[in-house]
Amino acid sequence: MARRTSLPVTFVVPTIAILLVLSMVPTLYAIVIALQNRELSTPDYSWVWLSNFYDLFFDRRFLNAVWVSVKWEIVTVVATMVVAIGLGVLMFEVASPRLRNVYCLLFIVPVLLPRVSAAFVWKFAYHPLYGIATYPYRLITGGLIFDPLSKPATALFAVASVDVWQWGLFFAVIVLKLLETLPPQPIEAARLDHARRWQIHAYVTLPMLKAPLISLMFVKMIESLRSFDLIYVMTRGGPGVATETLDMYAFSQGFIESGKVSYASAMAVLMMIATVITFTMLWKRVQA
Amino acid sequence: MKPGRLIGKAILVLAGFLAVFPLLWTALNALKNNVDIITRVPRLVFTPTWANISYILGRDSVLTGLYNSVVACGSAVLIGVVLGLPAAYAVARYPNRWAGDIQFFVLSLRFLPPVAVAIPLMVIWLQVGLYDTLPALIITYCLLTISVIMWLAIPAFQGVPKEIEEAAFVDGYGAYSVFWRIALPVAARSLAGAVAFSFVLVWNEFLIALMLSSSNAKTLPIVASELSQQGMNVPWGILNASVVLLSLPPLLFLGVLSGFLNSVFRQKKT
Repeated sequence: MARRTSLPVTFVVPTIAILLVLSMVPTLYAIVIALQNRELSTPDYSWVWLSNFYDLFFDRRFLNAVWVSVKWEIVTVVATMVVAIGLGVLMFEVASPRLRNVYCLLFIVPVLLPRVSAAFVWKFAYHPLYGIATYPYRLITGGLIFDPLSKPATALFAVASVDVWQWGLFFAVIVLKLLETLPPQPIEAARLDHARRWQIHAYVTLPMLKAPLISLMFVKMIESLRSFDLIYVMTRGGPGVATETLDMYAFSQGFIESGKVSYASAMAVLMMIATVITFTMLWKRVQA
Repeated sequence: MKPGRLIGKAILVLAGFLAVFPLLWTALNALKNNVDIITRVPRLVFTPTWANISYILGRDSVLTGLYNSVVACGSAVLIGVVLGLPAAYAVARYPNRWAGDIQFFVLSLRFLPPVAVAIPLMVIWLQVGLYDTLPALIITYCLLTISVIMWLAIPAFQGVPKEIEEAAFVDGYGAYSVFWRIALPVAARSLAGAVAFSFVLVWNEFLIALMLSSSNAKTLPIVASELSQQGMNVPWGILNASVVLLSLPPLLFLGVLSGFLNSVFRQKKT
């Protein structure tokens, strides 16, 4: 369709220009702030160059936040993919087309909820005395208290379960749709060879879906970075610093505790560099 | 084979139950008095009350939050549609050597950690005197809506059969009227899904709204999260009611979005 028209220029240039301004101004400004020593309480500031970054490497809470973030990424991405593939295959195998539609509709509900809502719903559910999710435990043990959100060992998993509830079920729908787009012949052939159902999926269908499944995992890795709202509502990074991820720590340094905007920005800049490098590399590999 | 299928079906039923039950339970709690919520054994039978819901709907902070959310998300989505859809069409139909870079750039906006955007923007908006106003929030949200709409609309426009557009050119339509009269209507269903998706994303957005507003421009998620911090005597029923109010608008798009998913994957088959 090589026609001489001004359309591509008039349609693309303004939009991309606006996106560039909207993304570059904050990004560059974040770097500028990170090199200063701004605080919310005073308008005065001076240039301190790299000292914020230098301080970060000796900040135990920062190193803990890095570790929590890594744990969060691994737990939520792996659990989401396991739930999604498991339920997707199950729907494909045992549910009739009409039932599949019903399940798809039900499984999309959690991901549509604002994360603040999801966090509240489960915060109530995990309440040690009145929660619906802790009720079975109270019933079986005769009233013992189980408080997953206030124990350092379980808090991260309790919050992660909400993330998996939202994304794992949604991705199960996508896995099912992907399975439905596959050509039926290889599955038939495997069936004729007396392959068991799990073997068909492990050796035939899932390898055929390798590329879209990796893209799906990629999307989840990006979305997992946006865990702030869940953690903010459910634990505020607590108990102690057990669920304090990088964005939670940056927020509390910059706004709640000391108003050290520059210090928080230095953290954010490090996060930005790490994610842009990692995801650009991963993306190029996924595309290749 | 039989017991395996049965277990499989049982797991699916359980998963379906887990998907919606917590939300239904929250909706039930919104209709309960506090005494019916604070029970050691969950109560299914109770005398319903409208008190929580009418309290929520009668509060100024909630109404302001609702208004701010509707205006901010609505405007940002509108700008996203006006700027994002044409750009997506041009990238999809007039590929040049930058098309790949543009797509990657749009996707890469999603990698930016929200804190990294929110901190400098807060300082910038403070300096230009727009901090805690709706325009500041709308401009910030545009980054999100334009990029998401573009990202999802490019494949939607690529799914429009080229022959239809060629035929329109032969009939003497110009490039712009082909976009208006052919591409937009033909891709309308997928595009509606993309737009709905971007609305859900900004409606659910929390961190940026939290950092860019202090009193005037608070959106509904912020107001809802603040209700939970009212000391020791937690108004459980009111909280549940606010969660339900906050969740309703995105849920309205359930049908549009599931239709969108279906159409996306049906295209892949052909």
